[in-house]
Amino acid sequence: MAAPLVLVVLVAVTVRAALYRSSLAAFISERVEVASPLNAWKRVVEGLALLDLGVSPYSGAIFHETPLIIYLFHFLIEYAELVFMITDVLTAVALYLAIQDFNKVVFKKQKLLIELDKYAPDVAELIQTPMEMHYIPLKVALFYLLNPYTVMSCVAKSTCAINNTVLAFFILATIKGSAFLSAVFLALATYQSLYPLTLFAPALLYLLQRQFIPIKLKSKSFWLYTMQYAALYLCSLVVIICLSFFLLNSWDFIPSVYGFILSVPDLTPNIGLFWYFFAEMFEHFSLFFVCVFQINVFFYTIPLAIKLKEHPVFFMFVQIAIISIFKSYPTVGDIALYMAFLPVWSHLYRFLRNIFILSCVLIVCSLLFPVLWHLWIYAGSANSNFYYAITLTFNIGQILLVSDYFYAFLRREYYLTHGLHLTRQDGTEAMLVLK
Amino acid sequence: VCTSRFWFNYRHVANTLSVYRSVKRLGIPDSHIVLMLADDMACNPRNPKPATVFSHKNMELNVYGDDVEVDYRSYEVTVENFLRVLTGRIPPSTPRSKRLLSDDRSNILIYMTGHGGNGFLKFQDSEEITNVELADAFEQMWQKRRYNELLFIIDTCQGASMYERFYSPNIMALASSQVGEDSLSHQPDLGIGVHLMDRYTFYVLEFLEEIHPASQTNMNDLFQVCPKSLCVSTPGHRTDLFQRDPQNVLITDFFGSVRKVEITTETISLDSDSAGFESKFPKDELAIEPLRYAEQLPVAQIIHQKPKQKDWHPPGGFILGLWALIIMVFFKTYGIKHMKHIF
Repeated sequence: MAAPLVLVVLVAVTVRAALYRSSLAAFISERVEVASPLNAWKRVVEGLALLDLGVSPYSGAIFHETPLIIYLFHFLIEYAELVFMITDVLTAVALYLAIQDFNKVVFKKQKLLIELDKYAPDVAELIQTPMEMHYIPLKVALFYLLNPYTVMSCVAKSTCAINNTVLAFFILATIKGSAFLSAVFLALATYQSLYPLTLFAPALLYLLQRQFIPIKLKSKSFWLYTMQYAALYLCSLVVIICLSFFLLNSWDFIPSVYGFILSVPDLTPNIGLFWYFFAEMFEHFSLFFVCVFQINVFFYTIPLAIKLKEHPVFFMFVQIAIISIFKSYPTVGDIALYMAFLPVWSHLYRFLRNIFILSCVLIVCSLLFPVLWHLWIYAGSANSNFYYAITLTFNIGQILLVSDYFYAFLRREYYLTHGLHLTRQDGTEAMLVLK
Repeated sequence: VCTSRFWFNYRHVANTLSVYRSVKRLGIPDSHIVLMLADDMACNPRNPKPATVFSHKNMELNVYGDDVEVDYRSYEVTVENFLRVLTGRIPPSTPRSKRLLSDDRSNILIYMTGHGGNGFLKFQDSEEITNVELADAFEQMWQKRRYNELLFIIDTCQGASMYERFYSPNIMALASSQVGEDSLSHQPDLGIGVHLMDRYTFYVLEFLEEIHPASQTNMNDLFQVCPKSLCVSTPGHRTDLFQRDPQNVLITDFFGSVRKVEITTETISLDSDSAGFESKFPKDELAIEPLRYAEQLPVAQIIHQKPKQKDWHPPGGFILGLWALIIMVFFKTYGIKHMKHIF
């Protein structure tokens, strides 16, 4: 499998290199859908320039990256394009390896359940075979590398790519079963943008499953392992934050990075839901609504954890999707990460109900974003409502995608244990409905 | 610079043209004059004597003739163009006649007239230039070494407010009235129907008529021109930024172009070393020490240098800590047995 992967990597690198050299690079880096105030490359350069002038980059409202990014780019700023291409390649390779391992785990679990007779007799067509699962890792790497969203994000040199890399390594570490590395990478991801905190739950669930520790609230080993993992995670987070203090000898970065993510002061339009709402809001209520919106991101973890505790990797996928929809400054780079996972659930194809409408919505909205932006900002014949409408539609499309996969997944699980032909008590055919 | 347009501001155009004529008479060529006029007087349909602009003198002196070269006319007289001329930030397509091609040895005379107020001067009835903008433009000129000395004369209402904010060295300023006073015009011409000159410029011109290229009249005499009895407003002046004593500044330093020519019957051989050359100067030469730019005011005090950019480097402790952590994670994951391969 290495050769096709190398080929895909080469093609992706060529595409990116070609775009870097073209005039589109400048155009793409300006797009608000690709570069948000959190991860725009312009701001990184500005911050480093301020540092050369002897001023702390966090003193204004320009720079919202973490000190580790400062350290990384201080030495690598001339090779920025190479760095971003390498991060994309690393993400793809990490995802490839992770999904390869995950497939093995899925297959083993499936075999175990078949031998334990947990499956209904007529679900042979629903069982995943190694043949069809063989190409999934390659497809995942392909989906990530050649996704137009990823390419745009890389060409714009948005540091979202670095966040994606850290998340991909976290997923790889979790699936391989190493609690320590997974905690470290999760701490790094949380340190950079606050929201991966919610990925603690799926990672914990997966590691528990791997250690064959049953998830019962009264079980001592469950609590022991949870405490261990939480301690690892929190300690690494604390260590990284304290280390960042020593870069600039100040705690300025905490309000600049985390305060900025949480309090959303910058209302530049992006593909998220925060800007329009807060642009219209009275000062009086803005604290309340900021809290509501931020809780919305973190809130779905608990019900999903309860429902999907047997399927932590799917939970992780849904969680990443929720983060990239509801976070305060989303960009297309965040979307590219969860879209890379879609081939893993390709066996759910027969249960997906909204494929056509979803793909139409997503494609059309992506194309309309620059059009309506142009009409609003440059031509002056539209206004912000147009752009907000497209943002809303796009996010609704994404939510529909996630919920569609969620429903399909649960439906398949139900069919696996109860058989394909569902009958009610009186023998007529039944429909499965998600309540 | 005449900053007004329309027929009833005839006197501003006449002011400017009269000063232009005096300055040309004293030797400054058109290539060294930037004249900004609305230029709508001579061919104005209300002008009973078309193609002429009369100043006061005998009501018969036509200051608008065949040899008036207007560089910025009509709608080109804007604040932006004025500031661009001063600071030299001009698009490359601008012809030479529209540029102020001065360097650090040039003495510049700026004469402005029009309608003004406390701290501003009105341009063409549609925009204003403030005293702060003007002071900043002069500072830019100083920093770009576009003048040696600058004489700024303004004839507007509350003209003294326009020079209050100057902070660059070597500027001397004169105004026709103090803050709170209006500059008044001289008598009207009943034939033409408008006032032909302003009082201050009228008396300045009368003063200038007695100047010829060789005259030794100095600035203190110019400050006495137009006392309150004649001008009704109180003219003001500002010399604190000027290095030399106004007593020693000749009028012709600004208003005329006077070359100091020494005729000598000795032959002077020009050696390659300048020290030998200077010692051959005749001793009874008018001792003018060459005014070096750097000596006039310490450059370091004026041109505020940015501190040299030191590159920032991450502190050593941080790098050490980070790599120690990374190595610890690596060994924790892959086992301690690799350590002996590294070291």
